[in-house]
Amino acid sequence: MLAFSRGAGAADAVARGAYLAGAAGCDQCHSDSEHGGKPYAGAPPFPTPYGQIATPNLTPDRSTGIGGWSLADFTRAVRWGVAPDDSHYVPSFPYPFYNRLTDGDLADLKAFLDSLQPVSRRDLEGAGSTALVARARAALAVALMPLRGAWQPNPAKDPVWNRGAYLVASVGRCGDCHTPRNWLGVPDNERFLAGSPAGPEGKKVPNITQDAKTGIGNWSEEDIIGVLTDGHTPDFDFVAGPMAEIVKNTARLTEEDRRAIAVYLRSIPSKPFAAKQ
Amino acid sequence: MLTSFRLLALGAALAIGAANSIAVLAADKEQVIKDREALMKRQGSDLGAVRGYIEDKTDLAKATAGATDLIETMQKIPDVFPPGTGGPNPDGKYAPKPEVWSDWKDFLAQRDIAAAKADALLVAVKSGDKANIQTAFADLGKNGCGACHGKFREEIKK
Repeated sequence: MLAFSRGAGAADAVARGAYLAGAAGCDQCHSDSEHGGKPYAGAPPFPTPYGQIATPNLTPDRSTGIGGWSLADFTRAVRWGVAPDDSHYVPSFPYPFYNRLTDGDLADLKAFLDSLQPVSRRDLEGAGSTALVARARAALAVALMPLRGAWQPNPAKDPVWNRGAYLVASVGRCGDCHTPRNWLGVPDNERFLAGSPAGPEGKKVPNITQDAKTGIGNWSEEDIIGVLTDGHTPDFDFVAGPMAEIVKNTARLTEEDRRAIAVYLRSIPSKPFAAKQ
Repeated sequence: MLTSFRLLALGAALAIGAANSIAVLAADKEQVIKDREALMKRQGSDLGAVRGYIEDKTDLAKATAGATDLIETMQKIPDVFPPGTGGPNPDGKYAPKPEVWSDWKDFLAQRDIAAAKADALLVAVKSGDKANIQTAFADLGKNGCGACHGKFREEIKK
């Protein structure tokens, strides 16, 4: 990929993994920031559409974290949403997007997590509750949504485009909010990134395709980079709510990576925003 | 003793008077909403001047002027949110939430936070250091403007 080569050296892998974790914002869900919890050490249950979910401890603690997980375990969990005990994660953990991470990036991510100080979290054991109907719906949605595995670069496109496409498809997980879903919760890829009338928190999610009227067709490459840098829009409004949280992650990217995302977004098909599903 | 004609005339005068009062109030509200949008756009323009300097598009003098004006605009915010002036802005895209007035203390507190960050932005601009300015700009955007909008502004669904 563009920004980092597959160079040798364990320290490089940890650094690359740290960058990816920052880009994906793993610490945002997997840390109990409100109560001064250590980063990546998990958080107590919070409400999701699938019930009260506690986020796992990602530090290498052997009994309450992911210490002792093999790379194969980690890959299966992050790419396919299946834990080592064969239980399934609900897609509040956006594994359908992390599904697209390359083997190398998954290995780097694990190297980074393995480098953290183990934190014991006895309090997280058995936390959370099931919301059976929501989980059944989630299972159906995932079954109906093909997960393609590691992203393959498009040889017909240049490296910058490919890097942007990869970031959007994987750690950016832009489609998680910006692609509308049908009643089962399956993303409608015919309307890729065309926005949704009811996204997280029930609020409208903007159309980020090239539609001039309802999307970002009038935005320049610099305008897109601007919002990814610090959340400011072309008229110097600022994004708020869930997107402001995402900007925390995109702000951590290199300038080249933000530019790659902008280049890619300006190439995707223009679709109008649909007010009703 | 009022004749029926005079009674009618008096009634008409009162009605016209009342209608005039209502008409004035409506015009006032419309003007306030216009002024509100103009103030926000002025803030946007000021922020643009600061960002322009970071992007090497304008000079430090313009950025300084923008950051200075921004501080002034923060003080004017309560003036463009008098009670009874809810409703969509002229663009038709946003409206203040009722919480602006039901949580007026909280609204002012949020304004104070934004004002403090605007002060910090001017300090950073005066230093001329682009990294410092970007940090202050991002902080103002997220925790000043963005935080207030998140709590007190709603997007009108179409």
